[in-house]
Amino acid sequence: MKRVVVDPITRIEGHLRVEVKVDEATGKVEDALSSGTAWRGLELIMNDRDPRDGWAYIQRICGVCTTAHALGCLRAVEDALGITIPKNANYIRNIMAGVQSVQDHVIHFYHLHALDWVSPVEALKADPVATAAMQNTVLSAYKVNVTGPESLDTEAYPKEFPKATPEYYQKIQKKVKDIVESGQLGIFAAQWWDHPDFQILPPEVHLLGIAHYLEMLDKQREIVTSHVVFGGKNPHPHYIVGGMPCSISMDDMNAPVNTERLAIVDRSINTTINLMNDFYVPDVLAIGKMYVDKGYVDGGGMAKERVLGFGDYPDEPYTGTTNGDFHKNLLYRCNGIVEDFGKGLDAAKFYDFKAEDLSDPEVLNEGVEHSWYEYPGAEGKDLHPWDGVTKAKYTGPKEGTKTDWKTLDEDGKYSWLKTPKWRGKMAEVGPLSRYIIIYTKIKKGLITDPTWVEKMIMDQIEAVSKVLNLAPEVWMPTMVGRTATRALEAQVHAYVAKYYFNKLIKNIKAGDTKVADTTKWDPKTWPKECKGVGLYEAPRGALSHWVVIKDGKIANYQAIVPTTWNACPRDNKGDHGAYEKAMMDTKVKIPDKPLEILKVVRSFDPCMACSTH
Amino acid sequence: MIMHEEPRKVYYLFSPFLRIFHWTMVICISFLFTTGLLITKPASGGVSMEPTFGNILLSLDLIRNIHFIAAFIFVAAFILRIYGFVINKGDRLFPRVWKAEFWQSMIEVSMHYMLLKPSHRPYLRNPLARMSYVGLYSMVFIEIFTGFAMYLMVNPNGFGAKFFGWTIGIFGSEFMIHLIHHYIAWAIMLFVIGHVYMAIRADFMEREGEISSMFSGVKILEHEPVDVGEIMDKESSDTFSDRKPLHAGQQETKM
Amino acid sequence: MDKLETMWDVCLRKNIKRRSFLKSCAALTSIMGLNMDMLSKVVAAAEKNPLPVVIWLHGHECTGCDESFLRSATPLTSDLVLNSIALEYSHALSAAAGEPFEEHLHQTMQQYAGKYILAVEGAVATAENGIYCMTGGKPFVSVLKEVAKNAAVIIEYGACATSGGIQAAKPNPTGSVSVREIVGNSKPIVKVPGCPPIPEVMTGVVMHYALFGKLPPLDNEGRPKQFYGNRIHDTCYRRPFFDTGMFAENFDDAGSKAGWCLYKLGCRGPVTYNSCGNLRWWNGLSYPIQSGHGCIGCSNDHFWDEDPFYKRLPEYGPILGDVDKIGAAAVGLTTAGVALHGAMSVVQKKKRQAAEEKSDGKKVE
Ligand code: HEM
Ligand code: HEM
Ligand code: NFV
Ligand code: SF4
Ligand code: SF4
Ligand code: F3S
Ligand SMILES: [Mg+2]
Repeated sequence: MKRVVVDPITRIEGHLRVEVKVDEATGKVEDALSSGTAWRGLELIMNDRDPRDGWAYIQRICGVCTTAHALGCLRAVEDALGITIPKNANYIRNIMAGVQSVQDHVIHFYHLHALDWVSPVEALKADPVATAAMQNTVLSAYKVNVTGPESLDTEAYPKEFPKATPEYYQKIQKKVKDIVESGQLGIFAAQWWDHPDFQILPPEVHLLGIAHYLEMLDKQREIVTSHVVFGGKNPHPHYIVGGMPCSISMDDMNAPVNTERLAIVDRSINTTINLMNDFYVPDVLAIGKMYVDKGYVDGGGMAKERVLGFGDYPDEPYTGTTNGDFHKNLLYRCNGIVEDFGKGLDAAKFYDFKAEDLSDPEVLNEGVEHSWYEYPGAEGKDLHPWDGVTKAKYTGPKEGTKTDWKTLDEDGKYSWLKTPKWRGKMAEVGPLSRYIIIYTKIKKGLITDPTWVEKMIMDQIEAVSKVLNLAPEVWMPTMVGRTATRALEAQVHAYVAKYYFNKLIKNIKAGDTKVADTTKWDPKTWPKECKGVGLYEAPRGALSHWVVIKDGKIANYQAIVPTTWNACPRDNKGDHGAYEKAMMDTKVKIPDKPLEILKVVRSFDPCMACSTH
Repeated sequence: MIMHEEPRKVYYLFSPFLRIFHWTMVICISFLFTTGLLITKPASGGVSMEPTFGNILLSLDLIRNIHFIAAFIFVAAFILRIYGFVINKGDRLFPRVWKAEFWQSMIEVSMHYMLLKPSHRPYLRNPLARMSYVGLYSMVFIEIFTGFAMYLMVNPNGFGAKFFGWTIGIFGSEFMIHLIHHYIAWAIMLFVIGHVYMAIRADFMEREGEISSMFSGVKILEHEPVDVGEIMDKESSDTFSDRKPLHAGQQETKM
Repeated sequence: MDKLETMWDVCLRKNIKRRSFLKSCAALTSIMGLNMDMLSKVVAAAEKNPLPVVIWLHGHECTGCDESFLRSATPLTSDLVLNSIALEYSHALSAAAGEPFEEHLHQTMQQYAGKYILAVEGAVATAENGIYCMTGGKPFVSVLKEVAKNAAVIIEYGACATSGGIQAAKPNPTGSVSVREIVGNSKPIVKVPGCPPIPEVMTGVVMHYALFGKLPPLDNEGRPKQFYGNRIHDTCYRRPFFDTGMFAENFDDAGSKAGWCLYKLGCRGPVTYNSCGNLRWWNGLSYPIQSGHGCIGCSNDHFWDEDPFYKRLPEYGPILGDVDKIGAAAVGLTTAGVALHGAMSVVQKKKRQAAEEKSDGKKVE
């Protein structure tokens, strides 16, 4: 048995450490520990602030899923104060959320995840001519053709299309060679390029992967152009409680939003759709297929046991979340919990997640048994976020000193993440979870009138199952499935952006240019005390923000974040969270070079700043 | 009513330079304060079509320029104050805080103003007031430094910004500078109220020509003031009999 | 194949000493199937003409600064990272992880001692010996000190690095401070504030170094003058509306639609130095003000504690209201006090005179 530590884990957001006990003979991971090693205390910093400013502060939880926490906070505050945002604001926020998810997913796959799958060293061995040919095969064989909702077709022809000429691949290969020759390997330095897993894919796929790494590095920015138009910047666009700051006017010369600005957004969304259809989805499927074909269907872990979602994309403005209105008209109804999906659809159990659950102290809460926090006066208890407490209590490692760790203490406290629970149990969240929930709901007849988003998801799952030649229950709850559903979801989000763009145009056409409801702007119009919750399906999964407002100021603020669900330390019964379970569901070939562990952890797209906040 | 027809003495105190400065200051500060408040909370031009046709009277351009012109005049006028200080002992109002005697008089005067003592001994230049002027001048200096720091940071590479920029450094940020500038503006207003009241009160209570002194430069006192030594020549201040008002006293006025 | 793997290992992980370095170059050259006379080229390139080496460290941050860096269009981040610099250490982009990655850091620090650029994103947590931000099992603060020692220059990227950023906002639970507060002024430090800074400003600073071989000219706060030389207010396209006195009074009112000045909605443009007004975000596309929201001053030191953001001058206290109200109240009170004092003084004087008259009368008798 060998205890292997990886710290720091790179190509993620923030500071993550994992420790695994590997059986050297079998490669089995007997135990795994995931630890968020930094904590900033943002929940405490929210206290006593003006709730209208909250979004800006809490948005800084994360610059990768940059808009997630702003939206979570706005929704929470608007829920508390009883504000309904105007239609245009709802559409604009949904566009921003949609493209944010796409961009986040793209950066994840190409720039944070890809170098676990493809290697520049292998790429040097590729034949550029064969690579060009392969590009065409990928495009024809692994494209998932979906049709979005009825939409404004403003694009004459697809502007972004993968290059498939030998010269192009030659040049990319030469660039890689130049870097190697220079002796300065830069970002490519010191990876375990000799790991056998880099032999799973043929060299041409490696070259293709590296080429698209570069292409997407240049393109990803264009996906979130709408953030700069509507919010003035990206990362961290600006919002306001009650709607959006970007007034719309076709009558004024200096309006933040006019026809030209909308054209920029349209262009960016069209680009986004093309990038999904012709790059992201085919690339992921091509790679995933080769992995699955070679029997890599592990790394599922918690996904097989319990997944959770809150649902998102309010199709039209809603009056509140705690009052149930949010859940009445969603486009993506992944609200619910699916247990035992790994045992097959029939064995799988579904539990609905409803608005009442939010105020029930027994349904959602967080424990700190193995976290570097304490709950004074409520030791051993799990606290509902409205009564949540964030109080640091650092205890140090098992071996080593407080400032020089050897190994962390899996029996004691070992992480800056709390342990979020649904009815006392941990769950996995994220694109994979959402897909499992939608799939289960529809297959079990719990959704009889699927929205176009839900239909598209079913079409995708069906298409991919055909390509992989495996049932969804088999390929979905795996490491590959986690990465693949993220790509599929990005494709959906791209169309979601287009869908809301169309709605926005239609609404403006009908004469409505309102983007903010400021009737409750003045704190005098607020109740003396109120609380609210904001739900949001962030790129990495279900996010909830919880606010208590007293006398016009924030009196308590808690966020339960997707990566907190996934990367949390074990609970008081010693059960593992999603990261730990996934690691334990993964075989390690060379314990000293645990590339598989990194790959499976990265398949969650870890965001530690999010998780600990 | 029986009045003791004692001869009152005229003491020449304030040079014309100080007096001109004083009234320039009064006018400038009035402008600075009003325009300053308008800078914080501007009146809106509102209905205009576009900037070119905006209402000039509400324009912040105008209001800020008035503020800046007043600021420049104020600072320029201060030279007069310095000149007065140099040539005329009566202008040297800095409290002699290093002397025990000064603090005794401070206590005495304060007791009177706290209405605990029916009257105080006569002073040419009231020690309490003199203390308050130190306060006022400190505030004015803060306004000048913070004001010019803000004003000159339009070009942070310029000489002026280098000269005043340090103000921003000590207060942490330019935002703080605005705040401080704004708070001090109000503090100055509090001084003004107290000050004007004291002047009027002194005039009324002591009838020593308090207010007019800032016009004429002289005060007329019934009794020998305690602090008369401060405006006497050093050599001649040893014996009481030698004490003579510096410039005045040629004519003695009866009231 | 086996051979290749081990050679890669040697080359990538163990090339500190010259001999092993040469060896690894040779190995590389042959294994990559390159012509053997490329070897001298590799060695020469690696020894004589190295690209500026960048080590990018992460403290207490949100990675928004990395993301912003990646959004740069001019220079395009890919061009910068793959052509103009050698980004040898970055938690965000580097392929490697864990031990070999840390080893690579140390090799790089040795090989390029005194020559590398240290870019820091994030604040430094100092409370309780820095345990609120651990990396590789050690406090970030100690890693920073170690890497800073032999850096040629240090770039502080973003508000977190330049002034502690969001985590340093009250009550600053982790004792977070800026990089400068830890490494002192022993090294040239370039301060690139913003939350995050504009992408093109972030890459521009490095680009300047790559193009001209030296740091861009800095102002007395250490910020590149070409990017932080003016207030947003003095470069804002809405300035004519400010000057004329045309303001948006509420979000989404007629003034907002007409793009009037956002001063009354709390805009911090008048106190903020950044390129938002002239470069704008993403090659001139927009900036918060153009999109209808006031500047929150994100490139100012400690701007997080200069809230609330929708008031130009913050409320003084929750009960009393804003400064002007307090001021007016104080003036009112003082005036009342003065009036009362006046009245009492008159009474006192009357009494005194009465007393004097009495005693005078006695004297006369
Ligand atoms: C903005 C308003 C004012 C300010 C800032 C101000 C300031 C000052 C200062 C600093 C002095 C001391 C002389 C010096 O060192 O320059 C002074 C003296 C004096 N001021 Fe004012 N003043 C103001 C308004 C007035 C007004 C309205 C009056 C008349 C009612 C007045 C009457 C006097 C008198 C009589 C003195 C001499 C008092 C003494 O001998 O102690 N002041 N003032
Ligand atoms: C007794 C003297 C002064 C008073 C009472 C005064 C008052 C004020 C007030 C209340 C403000 C508004 C603060 C804000 O909201 O930002 C202001 C702004 C300002 N003052 Fe003064 N001020 C004085 C002297 C000066 C001086 C000597 C200068 C030098 C040039 C100056 C320059 C400025 C500037 C540059 C501003 C900011 C204007 C802007 O933000 O557009 N002030 N002043
Ligand atoms: N976990 C997380 Fe986020 C996301 N997606 C948050 O809500 O990344 Ni920074
Ligand atoms: S400065 Fe802002 S964007 Fe950059 S890391 Fe800090 S919080 Fe994130
Ligand atoms: S919008 Fe802000 S920066 Fe622009 S002119 Fe108005 S106050 Fe100045
Ligand atoms: S908030 Fe920041 S992005 Fe620019 S406009 Fe203000 S400095
Ligand atoms: Mg939390």
